[in-house]
Amino acid sequence: MKRKDKFWFGLFTMPLFIIFTTVVIIPFIIGVAYSFISWDGIASNPKVFVGLDNYVTIFHDERFFSSARHTLEFTLLALVSVNLLGLAFSLLVTNGLRTSKLARTFFFMPNLIGGLILGYIWKFIFTDGFKFLGGKTGLEEIFFNWLISPRFALYALVIVFTWQMAGYTMIIYIAGIQGIPDELLEAAKVDGANWWHRLTKITFPLLMPSFTICLFMTLSGAFKIYDVNLSLTNGGPVHSTEMFAMNIFNEIFGYGRYGVGQAKAILFFLIVALVTLTQVIITKKKEVQM
Amino acid sequence: MKRTKRAFGFLAMMVLIASLVACGGKTSNDSADSGSDSPKTSDGTEKQAKISLFQSKVEIAEALEKLANKYKEETGNEIEVWGSAGDAYMTQLQAKLAAKEGPTIFSVASGAETEKFKSYYYDMSNEDYVKNIAPHMALEVDGKIVGVPTGVEGFGLVYNKSLVDPKDVTDLASFTKTMESMKAKGINGLSLSQEAYFLVGHILNTPFALQADPQAFIEKLNKGEVKMADTKEFQEFAKFMEVIKKDSVNPMEVTYDTQMGDFATGKTAMVHQGNWSYGMLADYDNLDIGMMPLPIAGNNKLSVDIPGGWVINNGAKPEEIKAANAFLNWLYTSETGKNAIVKEFKFIPAMTNIEADGLDPLSQAVFEATKSGQTIPWAMNHFPEGIIVNDLTPVTADFFLNANMTGEQYLKNLDAAWAKAAK
Repeated sequence: MKRKDKFWFGLFTMPLFIIFTTVVIIPFIIGVAYSFISWDGIASNPKVFVGLDNYVTIFHDERFFSSARHTLEFTLLALVSVNLLGLAFSLLVTNGLRTSKLARTFFFMPNLIGGLILGYIWKFIFTDGFKFLGGKTGLEEIFFNWLISPRFALYALVIVFTWQMAGYTMIIYIAGIQGIPDELLEAAKVDGANWWHRLTKITFPLLMPSFTICLFMTLSGAFKIYDVNLSLTNGGPVHSTEMFAMNIFNEIFGYGRYGVGQAKAILFFLIVALVTLTQVIITKKKEVQM
Repeated sequence: MKRTKRAFGFLAMMVLIASLVACGGKTSNDSADSGSDSPKTSDGTEKQAKISLFQSKVEIAEALEKLANKYKEETGNEIEVWGSAGDAYMTQLQAKLAAKEGPTIFSVASGAETEKFKSYYYDMSNEDYVKNIAPHMALEVDGKIVGVPTGVEGFGLVYNKSLVDPKDVTDLASFTKTMESMKAKGINGLSLSQEAYFLVGHILNTPFALQADPQAFIEKLNKGEVKMADTKEFQEFAKFMEVIKKDSVNPMEVTYDTQMGDFATGKTAMVHQGNWSYGMLADYDNLDIGMMPLPIAGNNKLSVDIPGGWVINNGAKPEEIKAANAFLNWLYTSETGKNAIVKEFKFIPAMTNIEADGLDPLSQAVFEATKSGQTIPWAMNHFPEGIIVNDLTPVTADFFLNANMTGEQYLKNLDAAWAKAAK
C-alpha cells in the first residue's frame, strides 16, 4: 500500500475504530475487571476484590451447567434445522419456479420481525393454537401446550428460532448458488451427471464459503439467543429452557451478584469464541477455489 | 484533475469531522436533556423542571398517564411516565439507576426492597405532604422519612357471591368440599395464575404471616434453623396446594388476564387476588364479588399492608428534586390528585387527609379489615431478594406440572430452594 493510500485508509477507518473501541473494547476490559470483584449493583455499596472466587463459584453452580447443557442442545438442533431448511429453500427458489420471487419474500419475512415480538406471537400459537388444534384433530399427543412441558419447551424454542433464521440463511445460500457458473452445471449435465451428482460434486463444494458464513451466523446466534428465549418461555418451565445469556442476566439482576454474573459472561465469551473460531477454521479449509 | 481530487478529499474530511462533531454534540445534549428544560420562568407561575416517574403497577399505568396530562393542564409542569414493567420492574430500575439514568420518582416495595435502594433516597422528612401520612405508614430508613405510601393494599380469596358462600370456605375440609362440588358443576373452584407473585408469592405469604414473629421466622429460615416442612402452618398450606392442584385448572395454563376474565364471566368461582385486580373487573356490572381470608390454619384475616411507596431519587438534579416534591405535594394535597388516588388508581389511602368513600367492593373489604384490625402483614416483603421469581416460582411450577409430586415433597423442595437462595 502506498503511503498516501494508508493515510486515507486510516482516516476513513478512524470513526468506526473509535466507536468500536468505546462501545466494545473498553467495556469489555472493564467487564474483565468486574469479574474479580464482589458487588451487588448499588452504586454506594462497596466493591470488594475477591480474586478468582467468582470463577470458583461458577464451578459449583449447577444451574449454570444445566443452562450450558440446554444451550448446547438447542444450538445443535438449531444449527441442523436452520441450515437444512435454509438450503432447501434456496434450492427451491433458484429452480426457476414461477412463484419463486413470492416464495423468497415469504421465507425471508419472519426475519424482519423482532425476536421479542416473534416470541410473543408463537407463545400464543403454542398456548392457544396448539390446544385448539389438539382438540379439533384429536392429536392431543402432538398438539398440546409445549411451553409448559419441560421437555418440549426447548423444541418449541428451536422451531421459533428456525422460523426466524431459515429465511436469512436462505438469502446467503441463494447468493452462493447464483455465483456458480451455469456452464459448469451444463457441462456436467451434458456429461451425464444426474441431479444428485451435480448437487454434491459441484454445487456443495462451490457453496462452501456460504456454509462458512451461515454456520457461523447460526452458531453464534443460537449461542447468544436471549430475546426469543425471554418472550417465549422466560427460561421456564422450571428453568428447563434457561440459556447462557439468560442465566447470566438472572445472576446479575435476579440475585444482584454483579461479580459472579460478569465472570460467567467472560467465560461465556471464551466459549463462544472458541466454538465459532473452530467452526470457521474447519469450514474455511474445505472451501475450494474455482 | 489533481486539484479536483484534492478538493474532493478535503471536502470528504470536512464532512467527516463535521459528522463527528455533530455526534459528540448530540450525545452530550441527550444526557442533559432530562432536566435542561430549565426553570427559567416564562409566564407568571414558577415553571418546574421536567421529571420522570417509574413504577411497578401495571394496573394504574393508564390512570397515571391521564394524571400526568391533568397535572400539565393545571400547573403547566411536565412529568414523564415511564412504561411500567410488572415482574421485570426491579431489573429495569436497577439497570437504570446503575447507569445513572434513573427516574426522578420511583416506587419501591416496603421491607427488603426499601432497604436495598436506601442509598438513592432523598430525605423527605421536612416536606409538607409527609405530615398527612397515617401513623406508621411512611417508608422510613434510619429514622428518616424517605417515601410516601401509595396506599394500603390487601389480598385474599376474591370470590363470586353468586357461586360461593364464605361460610363454605373456613377450613381445609370445607375448602376441599367446595372445590370438589365446583368441579362437579364444571366450574373452576379456585384459580391461581402463572405469574410469579400470583402463583406463589402472595399465597405463600399467609403461612409466614401467621407465625408469631414473621420477620424472625424468615431470619431463622435464612440461617437454616427452621424448616417449612416442619412447621404446622406450612404443612396445611401444602395441603391446600394439593387440593388446588387436584381440583382446579392447572395454573401454569392460566395468565393473569385469563384468570380475571374467567372469574368475571363466572367460569371461575374464586381467585387468589388483591384489591388491585378490581380494575380488570370494573366493566362487568352484574358481578357481585367479595374478598375473604385464605383459611389456612384457621386464618380469618386478610393480608393487608402498604405495598410500597414513592421515593425521590437523590441523584437527580436539585431542580428536578424540587419539581418532584412539587408533584408529590400536588398529588397528595390537591383535589385532582386526591381524587385520582382514590377514584382512578383505586388505592385505599394511607393518608389522613384523603377520604376513602365510594370504594370498590374489594377495596372496601380491605378498608374494613384495616379499620377493625383483622389483618395479617405482608411477610413476603422481607424475603431474600429475588427469591420469589427466581427460586420459589420454578419449584411451584414443577409442583403443578409434575402430577406425582406430593405436597410434602413440594415443601421439601421449597426448603431446598430457600436454602440455596439465602446463602
